Amino acid sequence: MPVSGGGLAAEVALAGAGGIRAPAEVFNSIFVVFLGLGTLVGTVVIAYTLYNAYKYRYREDRDPAPDLDRPELGELPESGGKGKKLFLSFGLSAVIVLSLIVWTYGTLLYVENRPAEAAQEGTEILDVHVEGYQFGWNFTYPNGHTTGTLRVPANRMVNLTVTSRDVFHNFGIPELRVKSDAIPGQTTNAWFVAEEPTEYTANCYELCGRGHSYMDAEVVVMEPEAFEEWYASTNGTAANGTASESGDESHSDLEEAARP
Amino acid sequence: MSHEHDHGHDFPPMSSVKRWFVTTNHKDIGILYTVTALFFLLLGGALAMLMRVQLWSPLWNVLGEGAYNQAVSAHGLLMVFWFISPFAFGFANYIIPLQIGADDLAFPRLNAMSYWAYLFSGLLFIVSFFQGGSFSGGWTMYAPLNVPTFMPNVGGTTVVLALIMFVAAVTMGSVNFLTTMYRMRAEGLRMRDLPMFSMSILLTVWMMLFAFAALLAALIILGADHVFGTTYFTSDGGTLLWTHLFWFFGHPEVYIVFFPALGIMAECFQTFTGQRLVGRKWFVLAMVLVALQSFVVWMHHMFLTGINLEIKTLFMVTTIGISLPFDLMVFSLIYTMIKGRIRFTTPFLFSLGALILFIVGGITGVFLGAVVLDYEFRGTYWVVAHFHYVMVGGATGLFAGIYYWFPKMTGRMYDEFLGKLHFATYFVGFNLLYFPMFVAWETPRRVFAYAPGLSSWHQVATVGGFILGLSFLVMFYNLFKSIATGEEVGDNPWEYSTTAEWAVSSPPPLENFPGVPSYEGGKLSFRDEHEAAADGGASTAADGGTADASTATGSGGVATGGGALATAESALASQATAEPEHADHASYWPVVVCFAGFLAFLGISGVRNGGFYYGLTAAGGVLAAVGFVGMAQESFHVPEPTVAEQWPFGGVENMKLGMWMFLGSDVVLFGGFIGSYLFLRVANGWQHWHHLIPEDHVVLPGLLNTYLLLTSSFAVVLALVAAHKRSRLGVVASLGLTWVLGVGFLANKAIEWLHLFHIHSEAFPNGWEVGTNVASSTFYLTTGLHGAHVIVGLIMILYMIPRAWKGAYLDDDSSLEYFGLYWHFVDIVWLFLFPLFYIL
Ligand code: HEM
Ligand SMILES: [Cu+2]
Ligand SMILES: [Cu+2]
Repeated sequence: MPVSGGGLAAEVALAGAGGIRAPAEVFNSIFVVFLGLGTLVGTVVIAYTLYNAYKYRYREDRDPAPDLDRPELGELPESGGKGKKLFLSFGLSAVIVLSLIVWTYGTLLYVENRPAEAAQEGTEILDVHVEGYQFGWNFTYPNGHTTGTLRVPANRMVNLTVTSRDVFHNFGIPELRVKSDAIPGQTTNAWFVAEEPTEYTANCYELCGRGHSYMDAEVVVMEPEAFEEWYASTNGTAANGTASESGDESHSDLEEAARP
Repeated sequence: MSHEHDHGHDFPPMSSVKRWFVTTNHKDIGILYTVTALFFLLLGGALAMLMRVQLWSPLWNVLGEGAYNQAVSAHGLLMVFWFISPFAFGFANYIIPLQIGADDLAFPRLNAMSYWAYLFSGLLFIVSFFQGGSFSGGWTMYAPLNVPTFMPNVGGTTVVLALIMFVAAVTMGSVNFLTTMYRMRAEGLRMRDLPMFSMSILLTVWMMLFAFAALLAALIILGADHVFGTTYFTSDGGTLLWTHLFWFFGHPEVYIVFFPALGIMAECFQTFTGQRLVGRKWFVLAMVLVALQSFVVWMHHMFLTGINLEIKTLFMVTTIGISLPFDLMVFSLIYTMIKGRIRFTTPFLFSLGALILFIVGGITGVFLGAVVLDYEFRGTYWVVAHFHYVMVGGATGLFAGIYYWFPKMTGRMYDEFLGKLHFATYFVGFNLLYFPMFVAWETPRRVFAYAPGLSSWHQVATVGGFILGLSFLVMFYNLFKSIATGEEVGDNPWEYSTTAEWAVSSPPPLENFPGVPSYEGGKLSFRDEHEAAADGGASTAADGGTADASTATGSGGVATGGGALATAESALASQATAEPEHADHASYWPVVVCFAGFLAFLGISGVRNGGFYYGLTAAGGVLAAVGFVGMAQESFHVPEPTVAEQWPFGGVENMKLGMWMFLGSDVVLFGGFIGSYLFLRVANGWQHWHHLIPEDHVVLPGLLNTYLLLTSSFAVVLALVAAHKRSRLGVVASLGLTWVLGVGFLANKAIEWLHLFHIHSEAFPNGWEVGTNVASSTFYLTTGLHGAHVIVGLIMILYMIPRAWKGAYLDDDSSLEYFGLYWHFVDIVWLFLFPLFYIL
């Protein structure tokens, strides 16, 4: 099973699927920036902390500020000075955090709205209905075919509608950076684009009972032609009835079918 | 002086075992909390070690599926509930009265109750392992895995009940601390002058009061799903209902866990850098902001549940907003070091370590605030690593506290070398344990069969875990050794400490202070007992009613010049002769009542299986009744402070303020129930709901009950009026009327329920019982909770009537008033329930 090394690699944008930027790529590029900035800020702040701790260590002979008024037992509390400096650094950190978040907000909008746009553009989309159960996954295709292995064509947008038959699960394929809660009685949506024919493993990311640790499913990304061939062969296979009744296959209402 | 203490404090010596069962003194209870919390740290830690061994290789099968899930869940629950907060509240119990100048908490016996409820709830948890396995649904207890359909073992139910008992302990504690801190401060100590640790606890208990009430609502509902067969969490919408209830509590809980540590860090930074906290005012303001905002970020735990974009955006904004005040606090701590005279004592090292860990935890938390990243991090070891950096980082601050206050609590110094050794191994172990989890973040959480490629990182983590575990051997050895042979310390071993606990001996005497502590002169001093008492109005006011005492002390402040230290010494000498008034009393009843609670809950856990468990429940119930009667009969008088800073509650007696606080949390509890009802009703279709209710469920019984309750509220008012007119008969008659009306309410309800249980309509051939559907569940449980409140009120009246007969309330009607507050509240709740469950 391929394990991507910490997801550090920002992979090259893919051209297929009408130039749709896959969530995996979105995630990886943001993650790299966060990691870079986070490491930088963390290192600077911690280094500065340690530097001060060392610099002002107590030494009998060398007092940095001999005349400074030191705290005394029983006094009412007061602030030590340096308020200006405090606000300056606070302001700086706030700017960094806020700009990072504002920047990622654009990508959130992208991830949220892309399937609806793609549908409008008439891009080809594969809808798959995912149902979790203790302890496995069922995938149901638009033609009604249900299987325990998720087969998808490379370079096509795949839109998942996820639900659960029993308890709370969470469906995720780590390498494709797709994840969605599987909640009984309601559906959630998530989408991905797989670039190359290969195999992945989907996991369950919410504790769901004894078999949770082993609740995997195989994900097979196929050449589009091979996929079509396979898909055609499933035609006429009666759906084996495991699909949940709440299947709402329309992908245009990506504003999530939160039922309440 | 007065005769208040004919029942004295009568405590056996500390070396006697009995002392620890009967004590109600805050310092004793502080020690009990600390020791008990450390015990649960060991238990939770042992479970963690088991997990770390299992995680050595994804191919191993040390624990296996069932045991691993239990270990994860119990570890999380024990660490978060039974270790971290109680550990902090060990210090809070011991230190806060000292810091604010109170001689004990406002309600010492309630404090003991709170401790014993905590201990027995923990024991209940431990029992759950032996009842076919403990709870195994994670510390977040997501629905519907958390109900018996999916978790049929009795132990699962026991854990839910243990949590309910724990919340009871927390609520008693919160009410007690709030009342104490608002009503019993040394004169001249304004709220804004509270030392940082006290300030952090103040904000913590405010959050606790409301957050735990929401958790209590969730737990009672869950308990009912287990025991009574209600169907909340298996109904449509039930799954999300749990996540809302849980995280409404859960996010404030994050700060509840962290704030006390922050307070300790701030104190240690001041003391060991010899610098006042930079931007103290802003630091406090930042904490207040966080405490408020913590109640409006909960849905960031639900970004993947299909909530719509607008809500996601809103919660992303509030989440990022709440992270900013922490930046300010971090910088404030860092700048406090500048120009300092930093002494690298063990408590400072732990504080500094906690700060560094918190910086890492905070930065990695920003990752989670970016929703697109959170989508992927959800349910992975990124989260596990992040929250351990923050939470165990917080625990690091608490370990600073144990070294910081060890000399105060024991009178002896710990071994500095061993302390440093503990820190070094702890810090190395910590980072080896948790940092690799960031690297191996793609491991799904609560899973042991992870991708084999990640196993080397998990092995590093396991090694780190063992180093971390070993570091505690050093700590325990150090503490045990030092209690016996450590160097004796004076009042104040730290050069730049400022807070009042360092102005009294180590350990402090039972009554805490050598005189009446006062800040009137701008600096702590101890005023002479008699003088202060005379000054403050000699009335030690029975049962409250000291409204004007606080204001009558204007002339005080004869500061005993010189250093507070000197005052302490001299006053200590004179104190032996002047017999001070104690608020401390020995009482067995708290432990009896809580043990009874333990038995009753244990019984309830298995009533589904009947037999033996029924017996347990009954035994617990009887013993609890005995305990409560014993407690009510016991003469236990706590004088209110005659001289104290009480803004903004100067005119409200302790009992009344306590009652307000309690009702405040009760409002949230009912809010949780009503919110749950509305949520489920919307999820099931507002109008469709009517199909779930039989024709026979009519308005009339509810309407009748509304009249009954309204009239009974009026009767309570009559009782008060009669007391004013000094009419003994009038009081008894009005209370009697209230009681009769209350019983009428219950009888009417019983008739209504019995009828509904046994209807045979076409739609409900088998009656409309508790578990029939979601509408019946919400109806019976919510009005049932209200009914339980009525029953409690009726029991109180039964207790009051004989006392009224003896004329108890003629001179002092405050107890009547407190009861009235409660009764009116119960009445008002009904005014909400009636339209919701009978009309709409
Ligand atoms: C103050 C100390 C600690 C606190 C408050 C704490 C808290 C938690 C919590 C809340 C969980 C989540 C449980 C769940 O997913 O339901 C957890 C999981 C875990 N903790 Fe701790 N913990 C502490 C110390 C430790 C230590 C010392 C170790 C290792 C030696 C450790 C190892 C783990 C592991 C392996 C998990 C399972 C992670 C997972 O699979 O989700 N923890 N901890
Ligand atoms: Cu699962
Ligand atoms: Cu949160």
